[in-house]
Amino acid sequence: MPERLWRTPLDAEKAARPKAEIHILKDQCKGCGFCIQYCPKKVLEESDEINARGVHPPRVVDEKKCIICSFCTAVCPDFAIFVKEKQCKDGC
Amino acid sequence: MAKEDIRIGVYVCHCGLNIAGSVDCEEVAKFAAKLPNVVLARDYRYTCSDQGQELIKKDIKEFRLNRVVVASCTPRLHEPTFRRVCEEAGLNKYLFEMANIREQCSWVHLNDRKAATEKAKDLVKMAVAKAALLEPAEEIEVPIIRKALVIGGGVAGIQAALDLADTGYKVYLVEKEPSIGGMMARIDKTFPTMDCSICILAPKMSDVGRHPNIELLTNSEVVDVKGYIGNFRVKVLKKPRYVKEDCSACGECSKVCPMIAPNEFDAGLALRHAVYTPFAQAVPFTYIIDMNLCLNKDGIMVCEKCIKACERQAIDFTMKPETIELEVGTIIVATGADVFDPSTLPQYGYGRYLNVITSLEFERLINAGGPSGGRLIRPSDLKIPKRVAFIQCVGSRSSKTGRTYCSNVCCMNTIKDSLLIKEHWPETEIYVFYVDIRAYGKGFEDLYKRAKNEGVKFIRGLPAEIFEDRKTRNLWLIGENTLLKEPYKMSFDLVVLSVGLEPRKDAELIQRLLTLSRTQDGFFMEAHPKLRPVDAATGGIFFAGCAEAPKDIKDSVTQASAAAARAGILMAKGKVTVEAITPILDLEKCKACGLCVKVCPYNAITLNKELKRVEIVEAACGGCGTCAAECPSDALTQNHFTDEQIIAQIDAVTGQDADKKIVAFCCNWCAYAGADFAGVSRMQYPHNVRIIRTMCSGRVAPKFVERAFARGAAAVLVAGCHPGDCHYINANYHTQRRVERLWKKMEQNGLNKERLQLLWVSAAEGERFASKIYEMQRIVESVTPDEIERAKKVFAKAGGA
Repeated sequence: MPERLWRTPLDAEKAARPKAEIHILKDQCKGCGFCIQYCPKKVLEESDEINARGVHPPRVVDEKKCIICSFCTAVCPDFAIFVKEKQCKDGC
Repeated sequence: MAKEDIRIGVYVCHCGLNIAGSVDCEEVAKFAAKLPNVVLARDYRYTCSDQGQELIKKDIKEFRLNRVVVASCTPRLHEPTFRRVCEEAGLNKYLFEMANIREQCSWVHLNDRKAATEKAKDLVKMAVAKAALLEPAEEIEVPIIRKALVIGGGVAGIQAALDLADTGYKVYLVEKEPSIGGMMARIDKTFPTMDCSICILAPKMSDVGRHPNIELLTNSEVVDVKGYIGNFRVKVLKKPRYVKEDCSACGECSKVCPMIAPNEFDAGLALRHAVYTPFAQAVPFTYIIDMNLCLNKDGIMVCEKCIKACERQAIDFTMKPETIELEVGTIIVATGADVFDPSTLPQYGYGRYLNVITSLEFERLINAGGPSGGRLIRPSDLKIPKRVAFIQCVGSRSSKTGRTYCSNVCCMNTIKDSLLIKEHWPETEIYVFYVDIRAYGKGFEDLYKRAKNEGVKFIRGLPAEIFEDRKTRNLWLIGENTLLKEPYKMSFDLVVLSVGLEPRKDAELIQRLLTLSRTQDGFFMEAHPKLRPVDAATGGIFFAGCAEAPKDIKDSVTQASAAAARAGILMAKGKVTVEAITPILDLEKCKACGLCVKVCPYNAITLNKELKRVEIVEAACGGCGTCAAECPSDALTQNHFTDEQIIAQIDAVTGQDADKKIVAFCCNWCAYAGADFAGVSRMQYPHNVRIIRTMCSGRVAPKFVERAFARGAAAVLVAGCHPGDCHYINANYHTQRRVERLWKKMEQNGLNKERLQLLWVSAAEGERFASKIYEMQRIVESVTPDEIERAKKVFAKAGGA
């Protein structure tokens, strides 16, 4: 169907995705950068800080963009990152 | 046959006053009687009538006629009739010839009786000259595979598939979307009966889904078609759904899918996930993954939420596209139409103003199963509008937008829509801005009256421009009421653009795959607008629905049933005869150069290197004659259009006053039909043109053109289908190459190359043909006797005159 789709869908707000809570165990990171490279939504980037292992661990750019696919967890060789769904209190 | 006496009977038809009104038929018949080999010449009021046919049959027996010439209308109309008459009288049907003195003579020279009569004489003389050389021929029979392919699963395709399947034939239904249903599935109610559209369509859709004779191929596209009537080999690309047929459509996968996009089915007014089903009544009712949206699109398994959610383990990311080969006897094209994109009209502000919507968006909004649950809301604030305007003919009936035709459905659709609003919210004020209201069908006028009685206001005159009030997002319509001749400026909450229909973007691809032709509008062209309205010019192919022209649901269904019946006739017979216009090979002359093999559009000729000769598959031959024109050693010629026959016609034209005449070679499908169309439309043009019909312009060998010039013709026209529209796939590209070579030769010999003209003209472009003849008339007038003599000398050797 080749019609041009340009409107914001009426149910755009209702389709709010689950909110992510990204946990990075900074000192466990060895700075391979896999999580940054493979994140499909480009949620992570390299931070400036230096951790216990002397490398730059990742940091979250925009937590809202995360879709909790957990691919970062899967690719991390050092079990240094995991994502949880944010438990909504007060209708977050 | 050549041994026996040639005995030709000539019948000059009056066609009432259609011919006799501007041609002296009696005189033409008297002239014909004196031509060589003619033993009998009559003029008759209506030769195609039963009495006329009986007369011919009687004469064949009584006067031992062995050739028959009828000078009447175009052979495209009555050649089959008279061929049958000959057969019934025991004469081979290929011993019949026709002279077209109606469409190409009397109707185009209405006011010059003398010239028209002279031209008619010439045309009869040409036909008699060809008739003397005609040979009897036998047609070969080709078996028809009793399976059909339907392309497109809208309501037309569904109906055609069901009708054929119920008759007992195996049907493949190919649909490129994930579900069948097409446009009708997206519409809320149908006019004029206000039935719920999906409620009447869904049962048919599920019938298709479980019919034992129908194989449904959704998410699939036809990528290649080879073969000919009765024996098509079709390749279908089946794109992967990534969901197996085990899917129970529980929807758990969709709930967990993190990716969202606007749903095409709802015109982008609602969201869908990357794994989705287009709508609730979809057939087949299995989910599908949109790989452009899915996180796993690059072949890396990033996300596997759907896999985990699926209890039946129906999701399979390893699926690959597959190409299926089908063998079918007939094809029904039901590819439908696109809707016009109004954002190309800046004055209406579609795409900028939120509250300007299209009629298709309206359908989704008013539909109970749609994104707003059937509440007509305006997109800016989701409130129910109190004043609604409909604007008609958006993208139709305007030379400015490039779509000049009427889209047929929009008037009634708007009337239906206005009544739907009145039904739910009777207080709504509705204005319809129109050019003309066309309520032509059964029950349409009643609906129109009902809308007027319910208080819908109709204002003639489309708004010139729409402005938006920045605060309220209301819309100001400014224009002129052409009935009251006064300007209007009115404010509305919601504006609905009644958008027209246009040919599918990929119509060109289908056209090329199936060697079809299209009208100027871009819709597919039928074999005859009145008498073969669902047949394509290519044998074994039929049209249904909006692919042929915009039409409503009822007409689409009617046409689909007609197309199914037409395809059924072929398959019930189980065989078809191939016209005996295939090539004749003279083995002694053939040098096995292989040039014919290269030009054959159907791969019907192969080179046998061991035996050093070419071999012809007659059943695959389309009958264009390009091979015969290409053969450098005269080893190939075409049955019923032999070199001798065509040269005899050229000689007949150029026997007298050649220096004032134009010899025109026209292909049967486009140029000859275009000249006929000029006649049907009574377009007048100069009378000095004499048309020789070949099946394809590719049949026109350079030697024919040279012969005409060698005999002193003032000008020659070679006319064929537009490049890309050739009835024989690409044969007319060879025409162009040959004409270019002749131009070069003329230039090298100091001849005015304008005397040879090449024209691409479609069957609908009578005007183009007529204006070309006017243009050539000026060239004819400027040619000096000296130039004619020079051309005679240059071409004397090659033309063999």
